[in-house]
Amino acid sequence: MHISEGVLSAPVLITGAVLSLAGLTLGLRKIKNEDIPKVAVLSSAFFVASLIHIPIGPTSAHLVLNGLVGMLLGWAAFPSIFVGLVLQALLFQFGGLTTLGVNTFAMAMPGVLSYYAFRGMLRKGKNLAFAGGFLGGALALIIAAVFISIALIETEKSFIGVAGTLLAMHLPIAVIEGIITGFVVIYLKKVKPEALA
Amino acid sequence: MRNHIFNKLFQAMIVLQVILFLFNSAYAHKVSAYAYREGDKVFGECYFVDGSPCKNSRVQVYDSKGNKITEVTTDEKGKFKFTTSNTGQLKIVIPAGEGHRAEYMLEAAEKVEKKDIKKSEPEKQPEKKEIPKTSLNKEELKQIIDEAIDAKLQGLRTELMDLRKQMDKISIRDIIGGIGYIFGVWAIIMLLKRKKNAS
Repeated sequence: MHISEGVLSAPVLITGAVLSLAGLTLGLRKIKNEDIPKVAVLSSAFFVASLIHIPIGPTSAHLVLNGLVGMLLGWAAFPSIFVGLVLQALLFQFGGLTTLGVNTFAMAMPGVLSYYAFRGMLRKGKNLAFAGGFLGGALALIIAAVFISIALIETEKSFIGVAGTLLAMHLPIAVIEGIITGFVVIYLKKVKPEALA
Repeated sequence: MRNHIFNKLFQAMIVLQVILFLFNSAYAHKVSAYAYREGDKVFGECYFVDGSPCKNSRVQVYDSKGNKITEVTTDEKGKFKFTTSNTGQLKIVIPAGEGHRAEYMLEAAEKVEKKDIKKSEPEKQPEKKEIPKTSLNKEELKQIIDEAIDAKLQGLRTELMDLRKQMDKISIRDIIGGIGYIFGVWAIIMLLKRKKNAS
């Protein structure tokens, strides 16, 4: 999910940076002071999730949890994921500093979309909330794979080829993340219903 | 009340993260490459952070001016080799697909060879009498020595490779440190926001 340094051309990098900057500004403005602990916890959950790596076929993919972050934070997912990505780039060389913009947008935006699409379901009964969490978590990952494929069009030439590989790799992960997100939603519903309000 | 629940949530996250960490010795995607010379041949290996090989991946070789010299493919074990007469600095690029990429700079070979010649000349002079007896000329002798050294170095090279792979692995220290940094960053953001609101 993380695009490395030196893969993308300047126009793609700049587009990603501009889009992410807009999301970051909006996100930082929307965060209320009392929400910051929640943002920080989800930042670190995102940071660690990328280290959990699930072997699929010839390569392997890792958890992203961008759907969970997006559904709980809305636009604040942008700064939350950005901070996680900066540290991943600095400490583990996942992705890179120049590709931060593209990577942030590709992972945070699908989370925000899930927020708008399925947030309503989280307030409903237990089953509907789980379904909302599952769909939001799974779709956010699939859309992220599509965004990454779009960013790679220029480098890889055949969009269908990259998108196919990325989607095939991430479909099982999407199911796993959907389940995780669903359970987190139900757990939060029990211990802290106002987090989903 | 609010804080209490967040504490619980936070504890649950930490426990979850530690458990997941312990059950997973394999980590996500960073591609690394390593190569070394043996005469005019170059041998290399390409692997993901978790030590698993990059199979059937393209390997592009560029000279110091950025011209592409050759392109090969890695085998099932992530290993690759090519032959080149270029003794200058080589840049080995491995585009591992899906946005992954590794780069390795192979240093110029010339310097090493020059040193070898300088050292070996004074040493060989006293032995010159023996060389005709074995009917080996300088070139043949050099080849034999090279082969013997290469064979001995093989073990060392494997060890070096293993060490490199271990260094690329992510340690739990980095992970805990990273989580600490994240909380630090958000604490600073919180402080700044509070100041703004107060003023």
